Amino acid sequence: MTGKLDAILRPMAFILLATLLCGIVFQIAGYSAFLMFDSIVDGAFLGRRSLEKSLRWALPLFITAVGVGISFRCGFFNIGAQGQFYIGAICAAFAVESMAGAPPAIVVTLGMMAGMAGGALWAFWPGYLRLRTGADEVITTLMGNFIAGLILVYVTSGPLKDPSGSGQQASTRILPDELRISDAGGVSPTIIAIATAVGMVGWLLVNRTAFGALAGLAGRNPTMLRFQGGKIWQLGLASFLISGALAGLAGSVELFGPSGRIASGSLPAHGFTAILVALVASYAVPATAVAALFFGGLFSAALFLPILAGLPASAIDLFNATVALLITARISLDTWFHRLRRGRRDD
Amino acid sequence: MIEFHEFVVAILRSGTPLVYAAMAGVIVQRAGIWHLGLEGVMIIGACATIVGIVLTNSFAVAILAAMVICVAMSVLQWFVIERLRANQIIVGLGMTGMGIGGTAFAVEIIFGSLAAISAPFGVPRIGGEFGPYSGLSILVLAMPLAVLAMWILLARTRFGLRLSAAGEHPFAARSVGADPSFMRLVAFVSGGILCALAGAELAAGSLQIFAQNMVAGRGFMGFAAVIFGGGHPVGSALAATFFSLVGVVGIRMQIHFGAVVSHDLLLCLPYLATVLGVWITSRTRGGAKAASRISELREQ
Repeated sequence: MTGKLDAILRPMAFILLATLLCGIVFQIAGYSAFLMFDSIVDGAFLGRRSLEKSLRWALPLFITAVGVGISFRCGFFNIGAQGQFYIGAICAAFAVESMAGAPPAIVVTLGMMAGMAGGALWAFWPGYLRLRTGADEVITTLMGNFIAGLILVYVTSGPLKDPSGSGQQASTRILPDELRISDAGGVSPTIIAIATAVGMVGWLLVNRTAFGALAGLAGRNPTMLRFQGGKIWQLGLASFLISGALAGLAGSVELFGPSGRIASGSLPAHGFTAILVALVASYAVPATAVAALFFGGLFSAALFLPILAGLPASAIDLFNATVALLITARISLDTWFHRLRRGRRDD
Repeated sequence: MIEFHEFVVAILRSGTPLVYAAMAGVIVQRAGIWHLGLEGVMIIGACATIVGIVLTNSFAVAILAAMVICVAMSVLQWFVIERLRANQIIVGLGMTGMGIGGTAFAVEIIFGSLAAISAPFGVPRIGGEFGPYSGLSILVLAMPLAVLAMWILLARTRFGLRLSAAGEHPFAARSVGADPSFMRLVAFVSGGILCALAGAELAAGSLQIFAQNMVAGRGFMGFAAVIFGGGHPVGSALAATFFSLVGVVGIRMQIHFGAVVSHDLLLCLPYLATVLGVWITSRTRGGAKAASRISELREQ
């Protein structure tokens, strides 16, 4: 198989395999897997207005996933997108709070920049520790996620608390309409423009700059990078900061856009799904858009799954996890089938 | 003095699941794989234990079922990493997602709601005349033995040395007739059993309850303890105990300083301690740097 075709067929094959495996599990659990997949496709992509709903979840996912892809491409497993997303939203909310009364356009612009700065900050310390001392970024970013989650609980029940909120879920005050860049539907020209800009800049960065070329080299072969005169310290830190900033941007898009506020524990699977999107797309920006739409659609369908097929919404988490389990399998598919046919295995 | 005993009891309670998880991480680490699925396998163990007790009314059956399921999931993880040659970090995260999503799914199917399930009884207790300690479960008592057994297995048996060799230098291991792939399978199977114990102790050791996502990063902390402890059973157990000590201190501080510092921020302490631990390890040993490139070794 040629490289490009392989890059498209392989993730599709694994998604199909995951669908099959989950379908079997759901069937055993006593649900009609067929009805379920039918309602997912209907609820996510084909139904009336369902594409728009899918897009609402896909856009922030895409923004975060482009960043995740950049750091993975550079060889750093920054899996702290969730925490960077939260901290970004928190910083944006604080910025709004401190600029009360300023013209809306300025508040929103500066708020988004604060969000990006916050996300970048939350990626900076694991990146610094990784590159200066070698502290593994997988653990530090994971711990960063938990810490950010607790900071969000603290902020929404303390400094930024919405006094009129219900006791069930602490959240910040809902932003006034003039500060919102979209309604609750979440698909507005502004958000689409932001996502498009992120996609274009991301694509240019990866494919048309020295940074992109060297970062790709760093991920594949760090020794070679040294010989090429690249500095892993600068490249790595830049990739951490970019991925953090984009996750923070997604957080502030969520705040100024569809949500209008941040609630404690909101969107707990955003970071993990974004990682999945980046992996499925094998870090290519155009493919990231497609993958984001797919997983955004699944998320959107999950909201209606209990109603349509009587299936718990966690079914989608299970499906996503199955995809994560399989997606990085490096064995070439045709040799795998070849081996199966011959019925022997030689390592 | 009473207060001191209660402090120790609290550390043992919160530390024991971490230590078991860390032991699972240690053996898999020694075999050459980063076990980031600890969190997922552990929550499956916790869920299976509580659901098993509720359904069968027997602790023995429940813990056995938990072990079987955890071993099966661990073997699945081994298969994907070893046979399908997938990235061990992503597979570990996938296993974690599978554990969290799968237990939520199973609970909703079996009980019809996502509410926390409580069991009528849990792990058998020590009992007798040990003051505050008699309320601890027998798994706490068995924990030092498990650590000792793991140390003997890894450092004092031919099998353990071969297992470590399979992790450090697969090529060398193969040349003396130890199949690295098989060694990793054994490591994952033992890891599955230990994770089942970790989950059982967490869910049924004192609370007797299973709630969604109740592991809350303890599996990852157990993994960080492996790194902090340099892959040594005793060191990792001490690291895990240290993390739980920090957590208990945080909870104590809520009582005394709750008015000054938000308790949510005090809850961050064990996670911060974990970051600190990983940082210290990398400074002193440069260990994380070497270990994170283990996958390169496997390319041979």
